[in-house]
Amino acid sequence: MSTEQWIITVGEGTCGIAAGAPEITDLLKKRFPEATFQSVGCVGMCHREVMVEITDPAGKKFLWGNLTKKNLPKVVQFHRGTGDLPAALLIRSSDDPNAEGGKYLAMQTRIALRNVGQLNPTSLEQYRARGGYAAIGKILRSGMTPEAVIEEVKTAKIRGRGGAGFPTATKWGFARNAPGEVKYLICNGDEGDPGAFMDRSLLEGDPHSVLEGMLIAAYAIGASKGYAYIRAEYPLAVEYFGKAIADARAAGLLGHGILGTSFDFDVRIKEGAGAFVCGEETALMASIEGERGMPRIRPPFPAIKGLFGKPTIINNVETLANLPWIIDNGGAAYAAIGTPGSSGTKVFALAGAVARGGLVEVPMGVTIRHVIEGVGGGSASNRPLKAVQLGGPSGGCIPERLFDTPIEYEAINATGAIMGSGGMVVTDSKSCMVDLARYFLEFTQNESCGKCTFCRIGTLRMKEILTRICDGEGTMADIETLEELAPRIKTATLCGLGQTAPNPVLTTLKYFRDEYIAHVQEKRCPGGVCKGLITHTIQNDKCTGCSICQRYCPVNAIAGTLKQPDSWVIDQKICINCGMCVEVCNPDAILAA
Amino acid sequence: MSNTSLEAVVDPDRVQGWIDAIGSDASAAVPLLQAIQTAYGYLPRKAMNLVVERTRINASQLFGVATFYAQFRLKPVGRHMIKVCHGTACHVQGADRLNTSLRHALGITDAELDTAANGSYTVENVACIGCCSLAPVMLIDGQAFPNLKGADAQRHLHKHAREHNEILALQESAD
Repeated sequence: MSTEQWIITVGEGTCGIAAGAPEITDLLKKRFPEATFQSVGCVGMCHREVMVEITDPAGKKFLWGNLTKKNLPKVVQFHRGTGDLPAALLIRSSDDPNAEGGKYLAMQTRIALRNVGQLNPTSLEQYRARGGYAAIGKILRSGMTPEAVIEEVKTAKIRGRGGAGFPTATKWGFARNAPGEVKYLICNGDEGDPGAFMDRSLLEGDPHSVLEGMLIAAYAIGASKGYAYIRAEYPLAVEYFGKAIADARAAGLLGHGILGTSFDFDVRIKEGAGAFVCGEETALMASIEGERGMPRIRPPFPAIKGLFGKPTIINNVETLANLPWIIDNGGAAYAAIGTPGSSGTKVFALAGAVARGGLVEVPMGVTIRHVIEGVGGGSASNRPLKAVQLGGPSGGCIPERLFDTPIEYEAINATGAIMGSGGMVVTDSKSCMVDLARYFLEFTQNESCGKCTFCRIGTLRMKEILTRICDGEGTMADIETLEELAPRIKTATLCGLGQTAPNPVLTTLKYFRDEYIAHVQEKRCPGGVCKGLITHTIQNDKCTGCSICQRYCPVNAIAGTLKQPDSWVIDQKICINCGMCVEVCNPDAILAA
Repeated sequence: MSNTSLEAVVDPDRVQGWIDAIGSDASAAVPLLQAIQTAYGYLPRKAMNLVVERTRINASQLFGVATFYAQFRLKPVGRHMIKVCHGTACHVQGADRLNTSLRHALGITDAELDTAANGSYTVENVACIGCCSLAPVMLIDGQAFPNLKGADAQRHLHKHAREHNEILALQESAD
């Protein structure tokens, strides 16, 4: 198709902006003053940011990636006919749709992410042009009852995507049947798991899908008021979702008498203030009410007695984004994807030691290996992969030998990890599993609200023990204490934070016990990570005597004479093993072991 | 050198403006504190006291909330804010080294402190900012710098300091 003009589309999600998209846009505007520019959310290929799609006047599309100020002229020259095609920067084109980028997307099934990266997230018109708000229109205009909507979602068999996997329709049914005039619907966008960014990408890449999902859910349970609880760390998501609410309200899609019917619903944004525990339903509600985000005892469940004492449903961002698709295509179509126990798709935020990190949406039932090695392209370095961390601080580490485990709730749970909200951080042989467990315990310890003793003090004791082991001062009895503490913390705490806090320790003990033992008995960190167990030394045969390590050493532990490789040494009494020298050394002459 | 000079001057009318715009019942506590912190970079004691005097929020709730959430800080900040992401992906890819490197360049040696003595920069650790494929990441005054090594962090800091006429601490001598 000939468009007879240049169309330039720039990925301007948080990742794109962080990688320098605004600067690239400015430069392109100077080079292509005649072009139409468009900004879209993150398409999910975060490893190739900055990404720009250029459609030339002949209608040919070229998706470029890894653009920088330096390499941009090559792309400009190619399009202006004065240079060859810079193949390394091309992700895919109309001529070669199955190039690397095509493969990355072709191995996915995008339902929740159907619009992300395809439209301007601040444009209601573009969302509508792609079939947006047709689902809520169908419900309201055809006179579909709330019960029928719940039934359709029941047929879809979708389970809550926040992590626990509770059937969405069942939860709705409780609130639908709960007595009360006022009911609330809350969108849980408090994505606090470190290593997870699915909700961020949805809220900033396709906010109207989430909003339409809220409308569908609110109609089903009979809620007239809604809150979108979004992390304050996601300013772009807050901005775009706010614009979506305002635009929808102006178009009669929110507020009083939606689409000319008697259905009323409106949404307010509440910004989170940085507390992981607020992802837990009762803590989140306490936070909206203006209190410290501390969980409450259940029952009563929020569906019966929730926000301000009223029946309340809290749905995760990704769950909500799936709803319009389910109504449009029918619950049976959704249930046909995935496995009988885990229907539909799941979005993962793939990061860490993989070649191609980013947003990945796959049908349930495919293997972990499919995601990591297929979509993600395997190890980013030449080092073998060691494990994948699923579910963040509540989840666990699955070793490489179990990568053929299918992605479904029960199979993942059987490994000791959890599906979680979708964080998937891959580690290779240069990582330390004890250190990773310590990292998560430090996190949960920090984020524990302090209400339950076993969470408040139990996680602190676990963290102390893990720190001791990382420092090379652990004993075999410490490992036993960890195993003794874990089940007690799991059973003697109120909310999901405490109940799942020991998971990272238990799974690493289960699959990587040899690493714990190496730390304790041999005083050795096999991954070369734990500072107390490694020493940095200069291999003088590789050293060039350039002195760059000396300049970056924060404690001045390195000395030698310029251009005399044999003279360089690290004073072990001063060295803090921070690893700065390893990072800056060009000839790779510094050994950390 | 103490940080007294960094204490913000609180304008009661501004605080009243936020109360008028946001509300004065219990559920306004978090948004009010967010407004104050956005304006001053931290929660000045005087602003907190004004909120307690002029709203239905009592001191125990307000201070309880302020000390519960990680976003809020009660100590003044430097003129510029550096946030180092400590999400999982950043952690396994060396976020610690960014801290070591930045604190070294700023001469912050006391583990209890996070602000340079001359009030130029504050270095804060933050929870995941959700750019995991660009790890490790830091933000200087909201601008993100992706795929950093410890040395890169220092280089960006030096560049930022030059552009904003800030003086970085001198590096300490070997002994």
